Amino acid sequence: MSALAPLLKESMPQVAGPKPVPPTPLKAVAGADSFERVVDEYQRRLYGFALRMTGNREDAEEIVQDAFVRAYRALGKMAPEQRAELRIQPWLYTITLNVTRNRLRGRKPTNVALDALADPDALLRGAQEGPPQPETIVEQNAEVALVEKALLQLPMHLRAAATLRFIEGRSHPEIAEILHQPIGTVKSHVHRAVRVLRRILGPQIGRTVTEGETEHALS
Amino acid sequence: MRCRDVEAMWDEIRGHCTASVRDAVDGHLRACPHCQDLYEQFEGVAYCLSCLPQPEPSCDLTKKVVEHIALIKDRVRPEPIVLTSVQTPLGTLFVGFKEQRIAYVGIDAGGDIEAVRSQIEHRLRRPVVAGEPPEWLRATLDDFFRTWVVDESSVDLSDLTEFEQAALRATAQIPPGEVRSYSWVADRIGKPRAARAVGRAMARNPVPLLYPCHRVVNAAGDLHNYGYGLEMKARILRMEGHNRGS
Repeated sequence: MSALAPLLKESMPQVAGPKPVPPTPLKAVAGADSFERVVDEYQRRLYGFALRMTGNREDAEEIVQDAFVRAYRALGKMAPEQRAELRIQPWLYTITLNVTRNRLRGRKPTNVALDALADPDALLRGAQEGPPQPETIVEQNAEVALVEKALLQLPMHLRAAATLRFIEGRSHPEIAEILHQPIGTVKSHVHRAVRVLRRILGPQIGRTVTEGETEHALS
Repeated sequence: MRCRDVEAMWDEIRGHCTASVRDAVDGHLRACPHCQDLYEQFEGVAYCLSCLPQPEPSCDLTKKVVEHIALIKDRVRPEPIVLTSVQTPLGTLFVGFKEQRIAYVGIDAGGDIEAVRSQIEHRLRRPVVAGEPPEWLRATLDDFFRTWVVDESSVDLSDLTEFEQAALRATAQIPPGEVRSYSWVADRIGKPRAARAVGRAMARNPVPLLYPCHRVVNAAGDLHNYGYGLEMKARILRMEGHNRGS
């Protein structure tokens, strides 16, 4: 196989993650009404993050609720200048992660009902051209479940790094800010996470890049 | 460039990086099939993660959060404590009350009322407003200094933790003029190992005298400690008929 890295890079869609959203100006966020806009804007993103971290929908919803309530309380106690300097998106991720850690502390590693995670509707919605065939859905769903399961097998700090980097599409400096870690540590955690996932998912991953089309199969 | 150095850069070249870094990594990958293989796997993992579907929270999540916050908003404007001062056989007492129940008692030790106000705000997390002593308050305190027994229905402990409430209620079982140890209180509330925590609860008692933390002493029978000094502790005990020790 002579697939060179640059070719591979061109043919493989780049990891995009969620599109960057311009941060909400925090001047007006102190009141509960404007805080509702913050909740509306970030709830989906934080829910996704919490779900990837816990593997459980109920936990994820409760974590997000708890995180927003904490954020609201903290904003109320902040001086106006502190609030003006706050970068809300990384700050909300940090709070969500802290709540997640507290919640999962002392729990045994999750035995996830993976059916509850992989969502056929979401796959359907994500399809670009026409409705996919039922067998495609089943196949894709199985693959998604496999990746989700692998992610949940990572230790918490590696899972957080990999989720923020590849699923949430955050940059290294942003992740460093969220995790309160040096950038070097973040990079190393991201890398270690990928190594472990590579081992869990098997070496066949990334092998099925064929001429003219990009197809990623996990099986 | 060594394989290990290049591997460390894989994640870098996915984002913005200098052309020279990119060239160096590409050059190495072209020449090293082993790294090429691993790089493909790395990209494969990253790609798989990025392709996970964006999960949707339930449609009423925002509503739930907003409702939760509305509840807090009601709580952050708590009813204020009315602060007043009353003359008693022990001297001037600062008394804070709300809804016809006493929530704070402080012996006037010569400090200014602002310090008392901030102490109440800090301890009970409620705003404080100044007021005149109502008739029911004078009557309650007159009764107390006559009998040295608290009418528990006239005291509000609701801003305290359950443990603190239980410990203080246990002190009200100690007859006037008698003393008991911290561990006695701990036993009494079913937490026999929590004698030190009882000590902390006594130290934080916002309604001293009425809930008689002054009747709680150490295991050796020494007065041990008191927020207003051991002299005051001994004086109160003497006033209510304590004859032994100091």
